[in-house]
Amino acid sequence: LFSKLTGNKVIQAEDLTDSMETFRQHLITKNVASDIATKLCESVATSLQGQKYPSLSSIKTVIRPAMQSALVRILTPRRHIDILRDALEAKKNKKPYTITFVGVNGVGKSTNLAKVCSYLQQNGLSVMMAACDTFRSGAVEQLKTHARRLKVEVYEKGYQSDATSIACDAIKHAKNNNINVVLIDTAGRMQDNAPLMMSLSQLVNTALPDLVLFVGEALVGNDAVDQLTKFNQALIDLSKDKNPRTIDGIILTKFDTIDDKVGAAISMVYSTGAPIVFLGVGQSYTDLRRMNVDVVTESLLRG
Amino acid sequence: MVLADLGNKITAALSNVTRANVIDDKVVDDMLKEICNALVASDVSVGLVVKLRKNIKMAVNIQEMAAGLNQRKIIQKAVFDELCNLLDPGKKAYQPKKGKPNVIMFVGLQGAGKTTTVSKMANYYKRKGFNPCVVCADTYRAGAFDQLRQNATKIKVPFYGSYTEADAVKISQEGVELFKKEGKDLIIVDTSGRHKQEAGLFLEMQQIAEAVKPDNIIFVMDGSIGQAAFDQASAFKKQVAVGSVIITKLDGHAKGGGALSAVAATESPIVFLGTGEHMDDLDSFDAQSFVQKLLGMGNMKELMST
Ligand SMILES: Nc1nc2c(ncn2[C@@H]2O[C@H](COP(=O)(O)OP(=O)(O)OP(=O)(O)O)[C@@H](O)[C@H]2O)c(=O)[nH]1
Ligand SMILES: Nc1nc2c(ncn2[C@@H]2O[C@H](COP(=O)(O)OP(=O)(O)OP(=O)(O)O)[C@@H](O)[C@H]2O)c(=O)[nH]1
Ligand SMILES: [Mg+2]
Ligand SMILES: [Mg+2]
Repeated sequence: LFSKLTGNKVIQAEDLTDSMETFRQHLITKNVASDIATKLCESVATSLQGQKYPSLSSIKTVIRPAMQSALVRILTPRRHIDILRDALEAKKNKKPYTITFVGVNGVGKSTNLAKVCSYLQQNGLSVMMAACDTFRSGAVEQLKTHARRLKVEVYEKGYQSDATSIACDAIKHAKNNNINVVLIDTAGRMQDNAPLMMSLSQLVNTALPDLVLFVGEALVGNDAVDQLTKFNQALIDLSKDKNPRTIDGIILTKFDTIDDKVGAAISMVYSTGAPIVFLGVGQSYTDLRRMNVDVVTESLLRG
Repeated sequence: MVLADLGNKITAALSNVTRANVIDDKVVDDMLKEICNALVASDVSVGLVVKLRKNIKMAVNIQEMAAGLNQRKIIQKAVFDELCNLLDPGKKAYQPKKGKPNVIMFVGLQGAGKTTTVSKMANYYKRKGFNPCVVCADTYRAGAFDQLRQNATKIKVPFYGSYTEADAVKISQEGVELFKKEGKDLIIVDTSGRHKQEAGLFLEMQQIAEAVKPDNIIFVMDGSIGQAAFDQASAFKKQVAVGSVIITKLDGHAKGGGALSAVAATESPIVFLGTGEHMDDLDSFDAQSFVQKLLGMGNMKELMST
């Protein structure tokens, strides 16, 4: 008897259309890029078609859990990145662990580099910064200020010098002086700026850092997708190497400025599959968090 | 061009209307759906898009009743008007005048491009024969002092700031007073990045505004910002008298719509667009001609007069 009352309606594509459109709009108001909101809704709709559902419940109560698990799946990293573990491992092998921070202008590369520096120091590692933004006014002084406050060394050659050679020299210097970690700051650049992307690819593929972190801000809208894919593609296309480096992970910054419009997290992870390693949640050294997938998913669905 | 993608999509939606044999509700609805999707994909705030859709629908329906009018032109004009409304709050922007000290204060979110744009604007007005100078009231961000000072040196305009003073209100007041005494006619005050979630930062912004009594407050917004734009911009406007908007980083692939939402939220016109990191990368902006270019409507004037 029970089975007769429930599960007696098969979901057809038409049943889903209106509710799916509402969900799509909802995701967009949460700042998920619209292409990705569309794709996501399409795949959830496909997964639901042909399934049975209790006719007494509304179609929304069927979509919601399906959407929730799709979001959790996207945000759950396939590859776990633990920079502390990896840095400690490198220390054992007497090799400096190196991280390069890349991204478009003004997203928070230098500030979050300083936060990562502080985090690693707290865990007993010696850290050094490499000032490879040799273009933007004040970039070197900005890094020197952080280094002074955090009491670490900065490797810098002022402005107008070649970023790649600064990065390589800094790593050598760290090796010679038994410094455990080198954090490489780079200049912000637009993903369409071919010459600047070329020089970034050169830096990454020459200095060969252990980790390339893409820094993106949670404020960004539809451009998130383009930023991630083009940075990743530039590292691949512009490299002479057979096995070029790509983006390993993401730092999602300014997470404290967006209330519950957390959609950029989805847009970014969806674009390359690289996981979010940290969230930036403010301007102080301690404002670095790990992402809680369930909390972010809940924010996306709420409202 | 900025928003070119959006322009193409809207033009395509409009030409579907032109091609239709009969214009009925379905044709209009399809067009509206396409236009709204294009706007949302360009980061225009969803709330604004819903409003725009309603307005166009209303304009089109009302007109339909009057027989004999050219429906296609009415639809095109309704779309054009709404886009103009989005971009043009109908207020004139403050124009610095020679022969008096014009004090301009820059505000905005972290990393939006304030410091860079302060310098570009000083450079722009220097070329127009003004005597600009810049004041660094950002005592918060590491390297902010050096950043503005180095830019000021590059464009050869006087700079005021302090390495040691932590009180941004005091510095801005001192700087503005000093430059007024020196007879400078354009005094531009750069402030720290801030956001609505931190009340302390907003309070400081109000205090600086009270201290320097700016003739205009310019809100700087990153062209790639998404759905958070509208709320942030409204919050700034509530705290201080924002009078103009500058949208930056439009040399990239930015969709620009989030920043347009900021125009609606602040009811303030866009005065410049930032198109690069160099001191010359600043374009002045006019809403009407922008929308015309956007829609590829060279003959819009003709359309407007019918
Ligand atoms: N609210 C908030 N602000 C942040 C966060 N991370 C960075 N910022 C601020 O964003 C602004 C830009 O940060 P930077 O670290 O200079 O950014 P960047 O990417 O290095 O910039 P460029 O080198 O010029 O491309 C600064 O005012 C930072 O304090 C964050 O997580 N939350
Ligand atoms: N490509 C491009 N970059 C820009 C433009 N305007 C500013 N930038 C870059 O954006 C980054 C941030 O600019 P800033 O002027 O430091 O931003 P800000 O608003 O003063 O930042 P805070 O003081 O930290 O809040 C820098 O790397 C600038 O060079 C632009 O129009 N195009
Ligand atoms: Mg930087
Ligand atoms: Mg600044």
